[in-house]
Amino acid sequence: MKLNLYVLTPKRIIWDCEVKEIILSTNSGQIGVLPNHAPINTAVDMGPLRIRLLNDQWLTAVLWSGFARIVNNEIIILGNDAELGSDIDPEEAQQALEIAEANMSRAEGTKELVEAKLALRRARIRVEAVNWIPPSN
Amino acid sequence: MSCSHLTTAWSSSALASSASTRRSGGRLVVRCSLRELRSRIDSVRNTQKITEAMKLVAAAKVRRAQEAVVSSRPFSEALVEVLYNMNQEIQTEDIDLPLTRIRPVKKVALVVLTGERGLCGSFNNNVLKKAESRIDELKQLGLDYTVISVGKKGNAYFLRRPYIPTERTLEVNGIPTVKDSQSICDLVYSLFVSEEVDKVELLYSKFISLVRSDPIIQTLLPMSPKGEICDINGVCVDATEDELFRLTTKEGKLTVEREKVKIETQPFSPVVQFEQDPVQILDALLPLYLNSQILRALQESLASELAARMSAMSSATDNAIELRKNLSIIYNRQRQAKITGEILEIVAGADALA
Repeated sequence: MKLNLYVLTPKRIIWDCEVKEIILSTNSGQIGVLPNHAPINTAVDMGPLRIRLLNDQWLTAVLWSGFARIVNNEIIILGNDAELGSDIDPEEAQQALEIAEANMSRAEGTKELVEAKLALRRARIRVEAVNWIPPSN
Repeated sequence: MSCSHLTTAWSSSALASSASTRRSGGRLVVRCSLRELRSRIDSVRNTQKITEAMKLVAAAKVRRAQEAVVSSRPFSEALVEVLYNMNQEIQTEDIDLPLTRIRPVKKVALVVLTGERGLCGSFNNNVLKKAESRIDELKQLGLDYTVISVGKKGNAYFLRRPYIPTERTLEVNGIPTVKDSQSICDLVYSLFVSEEVDKVELLYSKFISLVRSDPIIQTLLPMSPKGEICDINGVCVDATEDELFRLTTKEGKLTVEREKVKIETQPFSPVVQFEQDPVQILDALLPLYLNSQILRALQESLASELAARMSAMSSATDNAIELRKNLSIIYNRQRQAKITGEILEIVAGADALA
């Protein structure tokens, strides 16, 4: 059994292919989705999306919040933006994280602090996505 | 010299306007020297080349703008389908969301989408005029208002009119992206949720054809949870009907086809579960929808601007061609008259000597 995964953004289709398994970060924690999953609707949180391909290789993508619907082995993920792990430059991601950390320590006022926190979280997720080592099984 | 720029300009415009004034215009131009006429013909030719190039550039850009719309289609289709399904599933539940809450209207935010550049006919003026008339309407209703201007032309307009309260001015460079729409989305979202404004209206040019675009006003917030697109009078269109424009060539000329696409909505399955509270899910879904609506409006506005520029530049080229033709006729007449005069002088001189 296979899953049809669609990751759609207004700009382009990020992913449109059959997969074996995905791990999705939802608002209520990460969920793993295998074929014949119960049909659900869920809000997607900012976080990594792990994809197991048909040849058992793992891939990572980054989602910036959105919505997912799983019905009849079809997963539709809608988001304003998403990135594939392979499109992220590790060095650039690391630099962005350092800048975000520096901004965080300098932030003053509630609004700035919230923005800095958000930016830091985004940067962390990107670095994590790049450096993730897939489970070997 | 006797021929100032003003007189040439006047005579040539008289020439271009109608055939009957050609003679009087011709007489006026007689005061010009041949050399000046020649330089004017050259300058008109240069202008014609430039306007022609601008027309082609605009045409190429329309095509790219259209590609952007096409590439966002899978997303918007899936979004509308999901929203439609969600709506079926939660109809029985009583849901209170900040984005759909209808409050008595005291203050309205008007988002005005204009172009980044001029030289596109009355495109920007049409939008701004519509904005003015809407502002007057709001004033008459005794409502407070604020303007969010998107696009350089609108920004300059509202900057010159400090009596119109302007919340923020934004710019969009090139093809509108999610980032551009997101910044507008964030702004109207925070204004609406913080109850600073009670209604958000979006004013943009709807792309109808290459020669026509209508400024329309659409209510952005409060949103109808069904995902309908409503205008200010509350007339709603079902969002599952979507129009797509396509630039094609017909007999060597560019034309536009508008396609109406009805998105297939599958019958909903009652077994679908909600991982979270339906409110939370709609909370994730509606901002996406709001964003995609704003993005769509930005794209339509850009397409209208480029189309307006294309037709403006096309008529400018036509005018330049006609002006050049008329100027050439005058130039040739003058040259002929001068040669005739010289021959007469020579003949008369020779006669006198004989």
